[in-house]
Amino acid sequence: MFKKFDEKDNVSSVLQLKSSVQKAIRVKLLESYPHLENFIDVVLPKKDSLRIIKCHDHIEIIVNSNGELLFFRQRDSQWMPTLKLFHKYPFFLPMHQVDKGAIRFVLSGANVMCPGLTSPGAKMTDVPTDTVVAIMAEGKEHALAIGKTALSSDDIAKVNKGIGIENCHYLNDGLWQMKPVK
Amino acid sequence: MSVEDKLKQGPRDGISYPMQVVYCGNCSMPIEYCEYYPEYEKCKQWLEVNLPSEFEKVKIGDDNPVEEEKKRQKRGGKGMIKTKKKEDGPKQVYVSRAPRGKKKSVTVVTGLNSFDIDLKVAAKFFGTKFACGSSVTGDDEIVIQGDVKDDLFDVIPEKWPEIDEDLIEYLGDQKR
Ligand SMILES: [Zn+2]
Repeated sequence: MFKKFDEKDNVSSVLQLKSSVQKAIRVKLLESYPHLENFIDVVLPKKDSLRIIKCHDHIEIIVNSNGELLFFRQRDSQWMPTLKLFHKYPFFLPMHQVDKGAIRFVLSGANVMCPGLTSPGAKMTDVPTDTVVAIMAEGKEHALAIGKTALSSDDIAKVNKGIGIENCHYLNDGLWQMKPVK
Repeated sequence: MSVEDKLKQGPRDGISYPMQVVYCGNCSMPIEYCEYYPEYEKCKQWLEVNLPSEFEKVKIGDDNPVEEEKKRQKRGGKGMIKTKKKEDGPKQVYVSRAPRGKKKSVTVVTGLNSFDIDLKVAAKFFGTKFACGSSVTGDDEIVIQGDVKDDLFDVIPEKWPEIDEDLIEYLGDQKR
């Protein structure tokens, strides 16, 4: 999603959000991420005014008044946290762990292949298909990517071939490198 | 910590959030991922200066990378990780003057981007300083209403010490 993304070329406009829209986003986020409940007032303070950065390819990014990038999505999909946000609250997404050998591929923007999730160094959480997950790595503490499952965990184990997680956002991609938006 | 614990959802007891992850000053990733960065040596130099204790740990880990290499070759594709785009054009600020109407002129400042300066903040600053209109007009361009070029040579280095007076170049009058 952000492999070739460059804020200079891909941002089309910045919108101030009405408070009613902000409220709706909060509700949506809590629905998707119930573990955020006790933290939502810190992540998205009620009084803060949020903005949405509209980018090419129907990508939208939620930004708070400090300019920090919080959540993103493409078209009308579910809002996904940026890695910088997830690193601050590394518990509100289901997590899949890839083995060591897969790390360099994920960091180059590749989707996660099933074998990278079924080998001895890997570990999955039981989730259905189309779930937003944090991609963790064998022997590492922090998430290296945010993705969406292309298959349920059961099917990944069974099929063990092809794409298991679609890589949406990874360390050092265009979104990661985007500076705070003033 | 077991893998199961690591992947469990929900906040952990005894940890206060938000957590602060240490990012590398060279590759910008959490430092545990530096080893995957193509310019790992530069990361190590950064670590050595800024986080000596982490640097010591890395040195020990470097002694047995052989196994890792074997594993890698089983997979298809190259898994090439690109280095960050460098913004290392010459660091220089350019000032020029352009006519505005018959009598007035404006001052155009470009190149502040190369010093990582927030243009909006800079435009606002000039506006306040010279009590005149000042706005961001392009990717790396600020237009100040009025002829303030002489003042800029003093004001810019004062506000941003990293910009020496010698790094500001006057391009003369522009025809618009
Ligand atoms: Zn590094």
